[in-house]
Amino acid sequence: MHRLIPIAAATLAALAIPAAAQQANGQKATDFKLTDATGKTVQLSDFKGKTVVLEWNNPGCPFVQRHYEGNMQKTQAAAKAGGVVWLTINSGAPGKQGHMTGAEAQKWVGEKKATPAHYLLDPKGVVGKGYAAKTTPHMYIIDAAGVLRYQGGIDDKPAARVEEMGAARNHVLAALNEMKAGKPVSVAQSTPYGCSVKYAG
Amino acid sequence: MRRFGFALMTWLLALAALPALAQPAAQDNLSVELIAETDTPAPGSTVTVAFVAKPDPGWHGYWKNPGDAGLDTRLDWTLPQGVTAGELRYPVPTRLLIAGIMNYVYKGSYTQLTTLNIPAGLAPGTALPISVRADYLVCTDEICVPETENLTMQLTVGDGSITPERRARFDQWRRTFPKPLGSEAKFAVADGMLRVAIPFPANVPLGKDAYFFPQTLDAMTYAEPQKITRDGDTLLIEAKAGITVPDRLEGVLATGDREGFALTAVPGTVSAATSGAGGAAIDWSAALLALGGALLGGLILNIMPCVFPILSLKALSLAKSGTSEAHARAEALAYTTGVVLVVVALGGLMLALRAGGASVGWAFQLTDPRVILFLLLLVLGIALNLAGLFELMTPKFAGRLASGGSGGAFMTGALAAFIATPCTGPFMGVALGAALVLPWYIALLIFLGLGLGLALPFLLLGFVPALRRMLPKPGAWMDMFRKILSIPMFLTAIALAWVLGGLKGVNGMAVGLIVALALAVALWIAGRRQARGTGTGPAWAAAALVTLAGIWAVAAIEKPAAAQASTGAQPFSEARLADLRARNKPVFAYFTADWCVTCKVNEKGAIETDAVRDAFARGGVTVLVGDWTDGDPALGRFIERHNRAGVPLYLWYPAGATEPQVLPQLLTQGMLTGLTGGK
Repeated sequence: MHRLIPIAAATLAALAIPAAAQQANGQKATDFKLTDATGKTVQLSDFKGKTVVLEWNNPGCPFVQRHYEGNMQKTQAAAKAGGVVWLTINSGAPGKQGHMTGAEAQKWVGEKKATPAHYLLDPKGVVGKGYAAKTTPHMYIIDAAGVLRYQGGIDDKPAARVEEMGAARNHVLAALNEMKAGKPVSVAQSTPYGCSVKYAG
Repeated sequence: MRRFGFALMTWLLALAALPALAQPAAQDNLSVELIAETDTPAPGSTVTVAFVAKPDPGWHGYWKNPGDAGLDTRLDWTLPQGVTAGELRYPVPTRLLIAGIMNYVYKGSYTQLTTLNIPAGLAPGTALPISVRADYLVCTDEICVPETENLTMQLTVGDGSITPERRARFDQWRRTFPKPLGSEAKFAVADGMLRVAIPFPANVPLGKDAYFFPQTLDAMTYAEPQKITRDGDTLLIEAKAGITVPDRLEGVLATGDREGFALTAVPGTVSAATSGAGGAAIDWSAALLALGGALLGGLILNIMPCVFPILSLKALSLAKSGTSEAHARAEALAYTTGVVLVVVALGGLMLALRAGGASVGWAFQLTDPRVILFLLLLVLGIALNLAGLFELMTPKFAGRLASGGSGGAFMTGALAAFIATPCTGPFMGVALGAALVLPWYIALLIFLGLGLGLALPFLLLGFVPALRRMLPKPGAWMDMFRKILSIPMFLTAIALAWVLGGLKGVNGMAVGLIVALALAVALWIAGRRQARGTGTGPAWAAAALVTLAGIWAVAAIEKPAAAQASTGAQPFSEARLADLRARNKPVFAYFTADWCVTCKVNEKGAIETDAVRDAFARGGVTVLVGDWTDGDPALGRFIERHNRAGVPLYLWYPAGATEPQVLPQLLTQGMLTGLTGGK
């Protein structure tokens, strides 16, 4: 068994994020700055000119676990192939389910063979609350101009059954395809489902 | 920290290592039991089936709309040929707000119900193996676990009999379900706010924790606080709107723990709640007018039979004492203070209760029979004293009432104001009702005006010596005058006995009168002993004892059913109905509840009108009324048998007919009088 040494919580620098505000589709998504699992500081505005997907994550959540049995990795790969920047964000507070240090997060990403551009740590929940992220998973798509185009669940099958995932409509892939084709996003908002984000307090 | 991180990672690894669906028994945080109300359902019937879910301590299950996160229950049935399952129904949920995320949940055990339809034509003894895969999400404040329960039960086609134990268990569960409100609500979305106007009678109490649970998804932002206001028979819910505007809004208005009403709202016009102390739009001229009206009303109260005797004697005693100016002024001021304090206190209490959500009217203290009886005995005591049955010789608490001193004047004022409220009720009700719409400080100003008006004559007497001099000279005539004044006091006592009768029926009134007689006897004895100069202590003690015993006794009297008093209707029971039908009597049966506005509208506008009453009397129709205010499951089953989920339900059984005619939910007089038209 490993002896895991928790690393001191990575210092978080969040810029210009209001306390708790729902982001509106068609509006400019609020810029933010977070530290990723490797300690690198990542800012949303760095990716200007590229489409960005935000995925709220909690490795302890059974819904996330089901999606990481292949579905989420496939979605990430498809997005990456289309030149999309994928940011996985963990807003779990220290001591709560799914909270991870940078090292733990790197290890988890490796084990799951996940391919996000960055795994971002948001232990104070500042960015999560700024985007009103409610569940894990909770997905957002921001276009090349920095405008929010989609927010909601990953698909339309809120059941926790793996065998049904094939039949689901993947809202994220559908929206990315529509955006690529220059079409409006047909389902721009859906009800996210899953575990609640384990914010502090 | 170190240790926790280790434990957490161990747990995570353990979870990751296990195949997700084959969770071991140790992961079972929720136990579910599947029970049918009858194990031997009859062919062609429906059987109620319960999912009795028991989450472990600290865990919770989810409502149909789970809120911001979570998941509802999902069922996959495996049923015998021809058997179908209905929709899963959920009891009234509770809220759980964790770090700004709203969950609609059940803490502790909860039971969901559904129905199985058994096809007709099955032979008794046919085995009906039922199995269902139920997926639940169970969570603590920290973690969530989806659990799957594979449940089975064995039913056999039979006679559909239900054991009393099973019925009692199911009825207990049924009480946790929302009752259909029976009246349609309206909703509107404007400026990002969702407003729902729910018909809900003003006199039905609403718990402090009342909340509207939207079942229609995405119509409301769940974590934002709800504002609930009451405006007459309308309950207004205001909350931040959700991401969609639905065609119909369904939900549950929770009024207490596992108590609530299921309702449907359709789009309509809903005005925003008027903010109580908004301030800007106060119509000061209207407020001043109301103040003047209140002052005048208070002045008029002085000649009311309940106040006039007290005031007259007080005025005469002031004239008699007729000594120093300062003394007269002090008395007048003390009396005014007593009056104003009691009136403002009563008004303030009423406003406070209103703000707290209770529905009260002026003279609300008069809806408590114990207060009525106390007032009745007090007024009777004063009347007997005025009539000369006994004297108040000792200048103690009661003795001060008619004697001098500022303390006595204060008490007299307080008493006058308190006794005056039964008189104000009918005269001032409308004006005071208008006052309550105004901001609270204006309303209090109006109560102040009422009190000042009531105190004004005595205040003038105290400050204007000329007026005092106009009072007739004291003399022997005063004794006669005093005795005559006992007549209005006796009249007041009779009025109070009548009010008591309204509250507690004939029995309550009789008890009140017996107590009044006992008090009179005790006071009579006191008077005789006074005349002989012997000690009166035991007599006073007896009077106090009679008062206390009487108040206890009158509180214990059961109030007769209100409907019986108003329409001559009899309480509904299936036995009574069967008996009437066996004797070929026409029966009109209606089912109502205090919280059902539609029911009340029908009763006022049709059922309880003279025309309908006369038509029913001519036709020999017996009216049976079933009161479903408390959601009695037995009555609920009877209502359900007529394809209604709840009240209102109106049934017409013509003489000799086998099946009743189910009348529409909106009645007219003509519809009811027409029923007996053939007679």
